Amino acid sequence: MRPLVSRLSGRLSRWEFGLVGLLAVVVVVGQANAGTLLTTYNLQTIALNGSVLACLALAVAPVIIAGDIDISIASILALCGVFMARIWVGGINIWLSAVAAIALGAMCGLINGFFVVVLDLPALAVTLGTMGAFTGVAFLILGGTAVTGFPNGLVELGSGSVPGTQVPISSAVVLGVLVALTYLVHFTSFGRSLFAVGGGRRAALFSGVAVTRTRLLAFMLAGVLSALAAVLYLGNYQTAEATVANDQLLPAITAVILGGVSAYGGTGTIPGVAIAIVLLAMLQNALGLSGLSGQAQTIAVGALLIIAIGGGTLIRGVRARGGPRAEGRGRLFIRSLLPPGKR
Amino acid sequence: MITAEATTVTSPRRWSRMVRQNEFGLLMLLVFVTIVAALTLPGFRTSSNISEIFTDSSLVIVVAVGEAVVIMARQIDLSVGAILGLSAYLVGSAVGHIGFAGPVVGVLLALLLGAALGLFNGLLIVGVRMPAIIATLATLSIFSGLQDVVTHGSQLYAYQLPAWLAHMENSNLLGIGVFIWIAAACVLVVSALVRFTRWGRDVYALGSNPEAAQYLGISATRRTYQAFAVCGALAGLGGLMYASRYGNVDATAGSGFELTVIAAAVIGGVSLFGGSGSPLGAALGAILLFELESALALLKISIFAQQTLEGAAIVIAVAVYSLLSKRLRRPAASRHRMGLRPAAPTEGGGGSHSHAESTSLVSE
Repeated sequence: MRPLVSRLSGRLSRWEFGLVGLLAVVVVVGQANAGTLLTTYNLQTIALNGSVLACLALAVAPVIIAGDIDISIASILALCGVFMARIWVGGINIWLSAVAAIALGAMCGLINGFFVVVLDLPALAVTLGTMGAFTGVAFLILGGTAVTGFPNGLVELGSGSVPGTQVPISSAVVLGVLVALTYLVHFTSFGRSLFAVGGGRRAALFSGVAVTRTRLLAFMLAGVLSALAAVLYLGNYQTAEATVANDQLLPAITAVILGGVSAYGGTGTIPGVAIAIVLLAMLQNALGLSGLSGQAQTIAVGALLIIAIGGGTLIRGVRARGGPRAEGRGRLFIRSLLPPGKR
Repeated sequence: MITAEATTVTSPRRWSRMVRQNEFGLLMLLVFVTIVAALTLPGFRTSSNISEIFTDSSLVIVVAVGEAVVIMARQIDLSVGAILGLSAYLVGSAVGHIGFAGPVVGVLLALLLGAALGLFNGLLIVGVRMPAIIATLATLSIFSGLQDVVTHGSQLYAYQLPAWLAHMENSNLLGIGVFIWIAAACVLVVSALVRFTRWGRDVYALGSNPEAAQYLGISATRRTYQAFAVCGALAGLGGLMYASRYGNVDATAGSGFELTVIAAAVIGGVSLFGGSGSPLGAALGAILLFELESALALLKISIFAQQTLEGAAIVIAVAVYSLLSKRLRRPAASRHRMGLRPAAPTEGGGGSHSHAESTSLVSE
């Protein structure tokens, strides 16, 4: 195990340490301000509320690393959740329904991937379209009603604790996903392909990387993890509706970018994203405890994004003296959004 | 360059060039959908339904025209919905206290507020060097948070609006709704700006090839600021129209509006890769979107299926435009037949008329 750990720590840059520093500031200030931030009960609350967001952020991270974007993840969550609830109502075992939902998630990811990768269309436009389409199908399945009253096993998964500890089961599941994804992204050839494709698609193609397959798999992975988020969501909130988790899309992408994944693809770490998720969850909770409601939290998240990304880019730009990133230009969509002339 | 070209182009060429523009195909599609819907759906051809379509799309057109400028410059603005909401509440409540010259001051206030917020986006993108999608994602959070703060959980009600604003939606000028006049004016002014001024050519050039544009001495910094200011100003104006249209403005006003706007632009043929498309296209895209919505509603297709079909429409539109631009990028032989001047095929980019124009601008 030793070489694995040292290989990982070699990849963690100053960015992650900066995030840990920020996290420490938030925890210290939050604790000093409210006093109840670090109680077991509050930490459990943070973990329970954060697990769906964490799952979504981890879902979209590989896609962004590969230089694409997927804004339909929250809609996939809603669709898979509704689908799972519907077939459970239809008499199918809840765990079988969960497996079917995850398969549906993979299918949704495949649809996105087909349009973006195989037909070579801009990812933002395609996933904007599928976002509406998936939500619409979710509405069609339930017709605007909600399903509630799920069996105990699922509720236990979503809101119970691991026997003998205070750790929520959903957090343990997310932790497992985190470890698996870290391995997949940082220690396998698929992961190396992700970074190669994100760093420069053409160069990757000429170096023999299976670009199409890698990007397709990234979209499918996003679908699968969004569906898993749906299972956790149903367990925690115990309702399935077509509009659920719509507000989780922006925080999820924010967490990925804040975690140090370049919006142009090709760089970033999964542990960094994990730290950013904890940071965001802690910040929102601390602001809530200090009596600031949702509105101020929204502003704080936006400001944090600007400070972290803007500050980081400025520092790097000054250090490189030649603009933020002087690497080869690709036709990747997000990269194409760089300010003209700053490339 | 454009004038020189225009004088050498003979009229059949000009005709075929017009036919090959994306806007023409879009217009044909629009006419087709209108005719089919009008013939088959009695409810569609009522005057109230048609004015509804135009009023709804006018609001989107005003914002989509600005968004189109930003996308043509190879940027994106996700914060237009939040700018619209903020402007709807702030300007909507401010104009209630203005006794004289209300409409003029109100429109100016809305434009200025929007432009200021747009310049803030520009500052993040140019000054702090954030990618546009991230910067405007952040300002989307910030502006909508501000909207929450200023509304204090309360609402702006229709009776609090001054009479001119409350009646703007229903009032006519020469038999045509004021909303339609505003939208038409925005489309005309911005189209003229991007087609006939150096500013517009700069925007296209920046969008189709930023490096080449910079070598030509085009100031990317200034043009980016200006594009976002225009987009923000029009979103601000859209806010004023929103207040007039819906009367009640709360903290969620305008949320999700950015997606409708981008969808209209995408359906209207504005390429997300930058450098091609036009404000007119975005406007036609908005009208098509609302016509479809209205037809689907009249067909008694549930509102949920509508969302699915609209999503599918976006994906299909992008696929079709991509196919068209790939065909346009084929070697010159097939283009001669169409009576087009052969132009050097360029890497990436749309390949519509405007794209070819900016390419020739770069290479000459």
